Amino acid sequence: MHFSITSIPSVLLLATTAICSSLTITIPPSNLLPNPNVLPAGTHATLTTLPSSSQDQATRNAFLTAPLTRSATFVFRNLQPSTPAQPASYLLDIRSAEYVFAPYRVDVAADGKVLGVWETFRGNPWDNRGAEKFNAVDAAAKKDVTVEAKLLARRGFYEQRSKFSPLSLVKNPMILLALVAMAFMFGMPKLMENMDPEMRAEFEKQSRSSPISGGARSAMSGGGSPGNFDLAGWMAGTAPGPMAGAEAAAQGAATGRESGVARRRG
Amino acid sequence: MRLQAALSLLALCVPSTLAIYPDEVNHIDFHHALLGLPSSQSTFFLKPSSASNASLLYTLSEKSILGAVNPRDGSLVWRQNVSRSLLPDSAAAGGGLLRASDGINAVVSATGDYVSSWSALDGKLIWENWFSDEGSVADLELLELEDASAAGTFRDTIALVNAGEAGVVKRIDGQTGDVKWEYKDDSGDVPFQVSSSPTEVFYISLQSALLKGYKIKATSLDPITGKQTYQQTLNSENDVTGPDSIVFVGANTAAPISVWTDKARKVLKINVIGTKQVSTINIDNNGEEIKSIKVHAPKNLNSLPHFLVGYETESSSWAEVYHTDMKLGTVTKAYELPRVQERSVFATSNRDANVYFTRITESETTVVSSASHGVLGRWALKNPSTEQALHAVSEVVDRGDTVAVRSAALLASGDWQLIRNGQTEWTRHEGLTGASAAAWAETDEQEELVHQLEVEGHESLYGAYVHRVKRHIKDLEYLPEWLKELPKRILTSILTDEVSNLDSFGISKPVIIATENGRVFALDSGNHGAVSWSVKAVETDAWNVKAIITQPGIATVYADDGSSVTLKVSSGEIVGRTAPSSKVHSIAVINNATPVPVSIKEDGTPVETIDGSGFLVTRSADGKVLGWSSKDNKIPVWEFIPPQGQKIIRATSRPAHDPVASIGKVLGDRSVLYKYLNPNLALITAVGENSASFYLLDAISGTALHSSTQDNVDTTQPIASTISENWFAYSFFGDTADQSDAKGYQLVISELYESFIPNDRGPLNSATNYSTLHDIDALAPPHVVSQSFIIPEPISHMAVTQTRQGITTRQLLCTLPSSNSIVGIPRQILDPRRPVNRDPSSTEVEEGLFKYNPVLEFDGRWFLTHSRDVAGINNVLVRDTLLESTGLVIAFGGDVYGTRVMPSQAFDVLGKGFSKIQLVLTVVALGIGVTVLAPIVRKKQINTIWKAGS
Repeated sequence: MHFSITSIPSVLLLATTAICSSLTITIPPSNLLPNPNVLPAGTHATLTTLPSSSQDQATRNAFLTAPLTRSATFVFRNLQPSTPAQPASYLLDIRSAEYVFAPYRVDVAADGKVLGVWETFRGNPWDNRGAEKFNAVDAAAKKDVTVEAKLLARRGFYEQRSKFSPLSLVKNPMILLALVAMAFMFGMPKLMENMDPEMRAEFEKQSRSSPISGGARSAMSGGGSPGNFDLAGWMAGTAPGPMAGAEAAAQGAATGRESGVARRRG
Repeated sequence: MRLQAALSLLALCVPSTLAIYPDEVNHIDFHHALLGLPSSQSTFFLKPSSASNASLLYTLSEKSILGAVNPRDGSLVWRQNVSRSLLPDSAAAGGGLLRASDGINAVVSATGDYVSSWSALDGKLIWENWFSDEGSVADLELLELEDASAAGTFRDTIALVNAGEAGVVKRIDGQTGDVKWEYKDDSGDVPFQVSSSPTEVFYISLQSALLKGYKIKATSLDPITGKQTYQQTLNSENDVTGPDSIVFVGANTAAPISVWTDKARKVLKINVIGTKQVSTINIDNNGEEIKSIKVHAPKNLNSLPHFLVGYETESSSWAEVYHTDMKLGTVTKAYELPRVQERSVFATSNRDANVYFTRITESETTVVSSASHGVLGRWALKNPSTEQALHAVSEVVDRGDTVAVRSAALLASGDWQLIRNGQTEWTRHEGLTGASAAAWAETDEQEELVHQLEVEGHESLYGAYVHRVKRHIKDLEYLPEWLKELPKRILTSILTDEVSNLDSFGISKPVIIATENGRVFALDSGNHGAVSWSVKAVETDAWNVKAIITQPGIATVYADDGSSVTLKVSSGEIVGRTAPSSKVHSIAVINNATPVPVSIKEDGTPVETIDGSGFLVTRSADGKVLGWSSKDNKIPVWEFIPPQGQKIIRATSRPAHDPVASIGKVLGDRSVLYKYLNPNLALITAVGENSASFYLLDAISGTALHSSTQDNVDTTQPIASTISENWFAYSFFGDTADQSDAKGYQLVISELYESFIPNDRGPLNSATNYSTLHDIDALAPPHVVSQSFIIPEPISHMAVTQTRQGITTRQLLCTLPSSNSIVGIPRQILDPRRPVNRDPSSTEVEEGLFKYNPVLEFDGRWFLTHSRDVAGINNVLVRDTLLESTGLVIAFGGDVYGTRVMPSQAFDVLGKGFSKIQLVLTVVALGIGVTVLAPIVRKKQINTIWKAGS
């Protein structure tokens, strides 16, 4: 009996001192944000929950904001007890257009004392708490709670415009093809000249029997099948294709064994 | 139709990378970052750092926005909204206070019961405090102690809190914001001001005299302990009838003074605070009634104890400069600034101990030293404004024998101008804050042509032909000019980034904005949002504009008192007015050939009837939604009453311009889901105690087609909704009923289809027309598919982009008030048919569907406002252009922000990425290649033929 009488005032004392507890969120330097002092002045933190009564709505106890301070922190000075007194569970967000911070869950007791701070995950059940940032059990005597914010990402607002550079022009496959063709065109005669006469004769013999050069020759002489090629007919399927002659020549040139293989595969 | 299909295919093919390019910033968008009208007592130049001589311009505006402006170019350095008072009527209490001290990197502001100190350089918080238990802050002063060593980098603040019956003086620590001491005055006096001299703090209160009037009581407090040292009461009850009678109480000068005047403004009485002596000065008013008396005194501690009294009558203005003798406590007149027959504003500035007074009249700026009457500098205004200046602050730089001055003056038009040596350096259009309505307007440039064409249409065939030939011959007179311009146009189009001038495609449109203080502005959206004109339309400070309706060439502004003002879009000339009639709740527009406005009364009934077909849906003040035929304004066709305990807060309908490119949605297996396309849909938002309900009504019959109710919704937070095409979206803050739910802001999207079976049109089938009133089948409700997303931030307003044909995919434009930005969320992302808990099948992939994720993080590329800080937006207007790819957006309310949106990229214009030089170079290179290769090839061919022949 004696014990209980002495304990009542001490409980009351505890309650009154805990009423004006504050919550401080610091932003540690990180890879994405090496210097937290560069955050714009409009950055702020919010604590949001459902107002439990209309009086809460009037005092804006359900929606608290804290502006960014000089030391890159957010301080909620006035975590007041709600009316009627009941514990509240706040969603803590840090509002910045450019930087994305992890949302936290902040539980506040009926007397305005912070019970615990945990990471939370959007779209997940509210009781699915992540890493614990603060727990009143660990630091029961602490009046002012300090937790570190967690930076998740930095938003990129801009599209990079591809810059004109000669290198990118050279990388273009069309240009590469054209360059190779040019190299052949100018390089081949030189190569041919440097060849010894026997090899050249053999090469010419081979190229004469080759279908493409045959086609090309006929094209050069201003006649042959490609010149008279009927595109409309070919597309309609009534006329033979432009390479029909060439295909026939290829089949003629190919050895029997190769064509046999081709047939088996087909 | 086929062309549309082809175009829509084209639009789909284009990758939708949406973000803005850095070089398009300020080119396709514009932003007026505004503070609001600077208040006269809380605007000043200040050097925030003792190391540097550079100063910034600080103000606390009438909108309770505290900001710093760079005096060089007028750009905003930082701003903070300090309207965070917990007092319920803090807005009505009004009159924020702002104090700072040179060389100290801090500004202290007070609004209502909220006192805060901000870093002057970057606008970050130093400390904040609320005195909500006591009352609002009546005055604020920084304590400047003589021994500067005690407080090198910060100053303590003296605040006077008006706690109803008592005044409380507090000394607030300059680093933490904690109260060091407080002095409570319970005597029942009216707390008036605090003032401080180097050695003492004065609390000035008004003690009501026995019969009438007030005695001015000065209580001296010890700055260290807050204890009262002595009291001084002045017998001022014959003159002072209330706080308005006191002209000035000296702030922080070496010898603070209090100045008051009698009712007739015949004599001026001056007392050095702390002394008993009262100097009486007779005002020489030349027989005219004095309109205002203003005292300008330097605020610095070490400046000379000189001050200026400015007088103003209806037609003239003059000023007198007085010197205070600190030993004797007397005030003597030093000299007079001549009387001129125009208005003038005065400003004080000091440099070390020297005090300078700047006088700005309508034609010139003059600077005098407080010590002698010689004019140190005089500059004629280069381009005198037609608007008169209301107040100004100035900064004088002494360059040996000459001086330079820059002054920031607030004009009656709401423009804030910086005048440097008579020249206007920049203008901030602060009057644009508090825009209550806006509208896109059409200029009447084409009107003449339209008129000519009309004439031709009404004449005989021959007459019309002759008229046309004549018109064309007349047009030839513009030919030489056009030819002269041609080379320049070609050259500039190659050299500049701008590929083509898109103004002729309707990109450049004037925007008409009406503000609360009775002004109408026109912004040119093509020219960086420059203000083309601004006019004072009505003499009021609370102009509640309900709608602006535009027709080519003219715009009509409708206010809530039933009055309207019609203006010319090109010049702002007022061409017509109607007198106020009855109170108007809103304005509806019936769009037949010309828009017809219909005023709606508070109870939801239309004021007048309109001939011809048309219907209206109105909201009544008692929470009903009513449907009307436009011919009958007595009995509504239908009534919609929400369930008990719910209150209707918002009703939206599909936009007037909402073209639908395709009536169905083609699925992966080539079957079609037909969209439920009802042009007469209304989305009603109703809130209960802790719930929000959304009703989709057919506006003709009043039938509820769909409804949904969300529980545990915070109804004090913004609930936004919009409807377009065959879908609607809304967002709210949802809490958890039990711990297994998610908590946060939600965005819900719902799509309406005629049937849930592909290739089925439901009961309507292939009917060419139907009536929602007479066909029983037509009442079949749509098939609704919904999905909800958790979003990281609240959405305060929603809009949907518009394009000319509706082929381009749409974006949901959401205003994010907490990060001061606007995002455009692509509709593909917000597809409620996204597969849940499984990967999409191959047909769904073909449709462009991907797996549902309950969390919707806003991608940085969706931010239309990119890195801009666009604050205070409460409305967003969209508009189509002649280019299918492009829509226009303007956001207003606080700031004004305008941009172009291209939700499917610019598929019909050549962007900046298209390099004309590269194209020309490629053609030239190819030409050179052909000319070089042609002879070689020819030679080779001839050689081959010869060789083949041999």
